[in-house]
Amino acid sequence: MSSPNDIKNGTVVRYEGDLWVVVSFQRVAPGKGSSFVRTRMKNIQTGKVVENNFKSAETLEFEEVSYLKMQYLFSDGQTYTFMDNHTYEQVEISKDMIEEVIPYFKEGLEVTISMHDGRALAVALPKKIEYTVASAPPAVKGDTASGNVTKEAIMDNGLKVQVPIFIKDGERILVNTETGAYSERVNS
Amino acid sequence: MNFVDRQSTARLRSLQVAEIRMKALAVIRFFFTQRGFTEIEVPLLVASPDSDPSLSPLEVRLRAFGSSALITSPEYSMKKLLGKGMEKIFYLGKVFRDEETWNETHISEFTMLEWYETGIDYRAGMEQTRALVLAVAEALQVTHHPLLEVWEMKRIEDLFVERLGVDRIGERSRDELFTEASRLGVHTDASDTWSDLFYRLYLFGIEPNLSREKATVLYDYPLPQAALARPCPGGVYAERFELFSGTLELCNAFTELTDAVVQRSRFEAERRECIRLGKPVFPIDEELLCLLPSVPNPTFGNGLGVDRLLMTLLGGSSIEDILLFPPSHLFGNL
Repeated sequence: MSSPNDIKNGTVVRYEGDLWVVVSFQRVAPGKGSSFVRTRMKNIQTGKVVENNFKSAETLEFEEVSYLKMQYLFSDGQTYTFMDNHTYEQVEISKDMIEEVIPYFKEGLEVTISMHDGRALAVALPKKIEYTVASAPPAVKGDTASGNVTKEAIMDNGLKVQVPIFIKDGERILVNTETGAYSERVNS
Repeated sequence: MNFVDRQSTARLRSLQVAEIRMKALAVIRFFFTQRGFTEIEVPLLVASPDSDPSLSPLEVRLRAFGSSALITSPEYSMKKLLGKGMEKIFYLGKVFRDEETWNETHISEFTMLEWYETGIDYRAGMEQTRALVLAVAEALQVTHHPLLEVWEMKRIEDLFVERLGVDRIGERSRDELFTEASRLGVHTDASDTWSDLFYRLYLFGIEPNLSREKATVLYDYPLPQAALARPCPGGVYAERFELFSGTLELCNAFTELTDAVVQRSRFEAERRECIRLGKPVFPIDEELLCLLPSVPNPTFGNGLGVDRLLMTLLGGSSIEDILLFPPSHLFGNL
């Protein structure tokens, strides 16, 4: 038995008879009283996604999961293939298990794969990933009174990110994969 | 990118952030001093921090004293000053919480504005809060923001009917809430208390449905969710409100109930809970309990997260956007 406080992305939980893989989680606390872990989890058979809030003091049944560092290789559109850099072993994951993280993939990206019972179930991304800006058209001078001076830029892998107006084509930036937001410019 | 460009960007960012903060802190001080408030300093290092088990004070071991902690809010010190006869006081400074994880809206050291005024209730306090927010927005030349529009006023009781079909939330028993949660398919646990079930329903149907494009005030919380707020007429709800910008909580305010007997029993319950959870237990603040009966009723109190207010007013996506020294730089890549 485990505590909801130990939930991570890729944790596999046995819940109401089914196995669910944690897609995202966030700790939340009311002003007073127990704190909770807001958990989005995906049914590993049906792909159905539900959100549950587990109280920190509850007990949950975690399945044994091994976490493997792997590199993203390629996709045929339906399955995504990763490789273990030490053993050269490859695993495949179907698109619907990892839809949320696919936009962040780029060739060679190092990720953590959750393996359960010989099956790859989830991909955990690094918290921040570096991309090169492929296209960041100059911003149109608009209303800057709200202080929200960003523009849309397209990364070299096709990912779209709102970036500050001073970002130019060819620059490298870090993107926060939990929020999809621009984090900072990478100095070279 | 060349070296000079990089330097000027970092310099520019520092200048901008410093100026934003300077303007905001100055206008907050002006707002309160103009209205006859006294700015007070409180000790950051205390023997008895807030004993709420859902908060984790940062423990500090002192060579001269032993175990102590950094304050999670200035509430205890400020209530002591009210008990000593001060009537309008505000604190603008740092507080600390040992959060388990840091993210866009939670960090361990942040700037808190807390103020108390005797003789007014939360209705007047809402007006005061709005005037303050508008003053900060004006100082930062923010002309378009949901906080500048009319705030949606939502009673907790009405929201539970609207969003979840649960009526008379404040009068329901623990078992009735359990049944309602099951009806709605909300996950429950046998150990759930009344407050746990209330919060599960809140997380399921209320918070996710707060309008992203609006500012909302939630008010009149059921008594167990506002133990130290003055009860509303009828005695089922209490005079507490929270202000949200979209889904971002900005402040938590009460018409304070300054009952030393209730406060002592709450302290004792919190200590038992801390022991059960294996959290550090600090001594009860006896001076606070002595002075509480001298605090007049009503007294309005509000705690507002300044970093969050600046972040939302300026359209940032993270508290770090408006910090001169973002924790992710100080502590490495988060």
